[in-house]
Amino acid sequence: MEIEEKLALLNYKTDPEYEHITINPKICETCPDHFCTFACPAKCYTLIEGRINFKYEDCVECGTCDVACAHGSVMWTNPKDGHGIKYKFG
Amino acid sequence: MSEFDVIVVGAGPAGSSAAIKMASQGLKVLLVERGDPVGSKNVSGGILWGNDLAAIIPDWEKSAPLERYVERKVTSFLTGDSEIAIDFKTKKFQEKKTGYSVLRTRLDSFLARKAAQAGAMVVTGVTVDSLAMKDGRVIGVVNEGETITADCVILAEGPNPRVAMAAGLVGKPNDRTVGIGVKHVYKLGENVINERFNLRGNAGFAGEYVLSFLEGDVYAGGFLYTNKDTVSMGVVINMATLRKNGNTHSFDIMEKFAQHPFISSLVEGGQLQEYSAHFVYEGGYEDMPRAYGNGYMLVGDTAGFSFSNGMILQGMNYAISSGILAGEAAIEARKDNDFSAESLSRYQKKLDNSPAVLDKKNFQGISNVVWSPMVHRAIPALLESSLYSMLYESGKPKKHLSQIMMKSLKSSGMNSKDLMVQGYRLMRRM
Amino acid sequence: MVKQVPDSQEVVIDPVTMNLNRSLTRNVTNRADENALEAALQIKDRTDAHVTVVSMGPPQAETTMIECLARGADRAILASDRFFGGADTYPTGLTLAATIKAIGKFDIIFAGEETSDSSTGHVGPGVAEFLGIDQITYASKVEYKDGFVTAERELEDGTEVVKVPTPVLVTVLLNSNVPRRQTLRRKIDAIRQGFESWDHDKVGLQPEWVGVRGSPTIVRKMRPIKEKERAAKKVDIAGIPDLVKELYQKGVIKVESD
Repeated sequence: MEIEEKLALLNYKTDPEYEHITINPKICETCPDHFCTFACPAKCYTLIEGRINFKYEDCVECGTCDVACAHGSVMWTNPKDGHGIKYKFG
Repeated sequence: MSEFDVIVVGAGPAGSSAAIKMASQGLKVLLVERGDPVGSKNVSGGILWGNDLAAIIPDWEKSAPLERYVERKVTSFLTGDSEIAIDFKTKKFQEKKTGYSVLRTRLDSFLARKAAQAGAMVVTGVTVDSLAMKDGRVIGVVNEGETITADCVILAEGPNPRVAMAAGLVGKPNDRTVGIGVKHVYKLGENVINERFNLRGNAGFAGEYVLSFLEGDVYAGGFLYTNKDTVSMGVVINMATLRKNGNTHSFDIMEKFAQHPFISSLVEGGQLQEYSAHFVYEGGYEDMPRAYGNGYMLVGDTAGFSFSNGMILQGMNYAISSGILAGEAAIEARKDNDFSAESLSRYQKKLDNSPAVLDKKNFQGISNVVWSPMVHRAIPALLESSLYSMLYESGKPKKHLSQIMMKSLKSSGMNSKDLMVQGYRLMRRM
Repeated sequence: MVKQVPDSQEVVIDPVTMNLNRSLTRNVTNRADENALEAALQIKDRTDAHVTVVSMGPPQAETTMIECLARGADRAILASDRFFGGADTYPTGLTLAATIKAIGKFDIIFAGEETSDSSTGHVGPGVAEFLGIDQITYASKVEYKDGFVTAERELEDGTEVVKVPTPVLVTVLLNSNVPRRQTLRRKIDAIRQGFESWDHDKVGLQPEWVGVRGSPTIVRKMRPIKEKERAAKKVDIAGIPDLVKELYQKGVIKVESD
């Protein structure tokens, strides 16, 4: 099963106003490893034409990217007001 | 005058246990949870070990939403072609339960409900932004620029404690202190689970696996637990080896585990209900932060209380016991009307004599062994080739076990001295 | 007016019994009702309006009532009584209208365009009819000035601007605004303040007028519709051309020529 199909099973309450994780594209440009694209279990980080593309809407708030990025590009916070992932089982 | 005696940040097992303890003794408690409903942000593998809840919920084995009790425990090495396992079943677990599989959305909302019944105010769907500080002590929490005051704040944020990190109370997690946990939940039905895992009634299966078939020297462990009518399956991936490899996706490792012939057959026909992930705290004794200070205490994963020695993965039990101890400390501090670091050091004293700390202390350095090439590559290779040579009827005269093992050892790339030394270290650490 | 509904992202149809499997479905505030509340609160921000939230539902709708207070409503009333159970849209509208009447004077009633669990869109207009007031449906933008409500209505072929004197009922489009956040301060105050629970007596209705007994709809037969095979798929921007090709090949989409 593809990761995209797995993510499609999930219930998110997406916050249209607040991106709880942001990246610094300047830092990502010079990144030699793009380890985020391998570490993130929700495939939020993808490399498109040499550029890191980040989708906060798919984030499951696992915290991995904040540790994975060794270059200080990831600004990680929790979503606000009950937004974000809503697990049914956990 | 503070608005609350204690504010607890996070309604997981640690936070809710602290809240239940304190509220039932008449403290004015606010329990704040960012998930709405409670539990919707939380993931764990899923076995709650021990009997710690009994101290605050005497009938917990009857009233809590438990899935199945552990009757059959498997510890296993998975290679590409083979599985070598210790399959331990005992009637003793039937009489005296040692652990139950749980699903966190259900368990956590149950515990938060208990906290509310005990008199705590439970607020869901609100994220605490930071701690409010004054004169070097914590005086409350901040949300959207407004401060809610309390004499003491208990941080129960889990393994990714943003508030504690921002305040500098815990270090930033790193490759050594966290692993990436990824999980599937399958719906299989009660009867299918019972038949497939050879179980009866609410007896359950708990399996832990060393995934030694992964390419490129990435180390990962797997787990598979039976719930009432679902199965929880997941992996914990070692961050350092994943980084070193630099070419493997974490979600592909989960899929590879799920596709392993001896694992996929266990959930065949099951419908994937949920995909989830959270990082898992793996720090050792030396990584533990000081669990108290002026006006605050840390509990559960935030304080570094989770434990794995390769045979058993534990966290929720320490979360509960540390939460209860912090609750006790707060009750005593309330009586003395003193929430200074000196007064709250009684929490550390309680912890120092508890399994939460002692297990960490006594198993120092275990993660170096659990995540070693010996455990992840050499031992499974040796076992596989030895067993294969012994059991494969080639039509030629049989060899002695020692000959087979020496030959397998050679092909595994280790010498016997290495194995002896590392094997001894493993036994000692476990 | 708000309603607590099953989370539409979690509604599961049991493939055997074909019933709604509610065992795993959690309740949330109907999303369009959150937009309705936000529209009301925006008017409160600019005037000295007083916002009362009204709902009909079982006691577990408490979480919705507290949530609305925590977003900024001044008062919350839940019409809750076993006699209200099993209501179709007619007695639901009647009950809400009676509740509003019992509260007293009002200028504007806000409702979501429809609820995600039944999608009839009846209740808002029904309440307006029971109260004998004007209504503006499917509004995306609502302003109030000097006794008049000016609203933009999103229609298929454009936007219509209407100006109506109060009292008036406005139904608000889903996602027409961004609901403000609950804050910890407001949520604590909301829990302390609490909501009011009104039974049929307090609402002023006879038991036979409401709930299942007051419902003219009779469900004669329920027939499951054979579900088409569906597959969920998420694609990146880069994957869109392939997806379009795949959908075309499967005959899901067609190329229209002039």
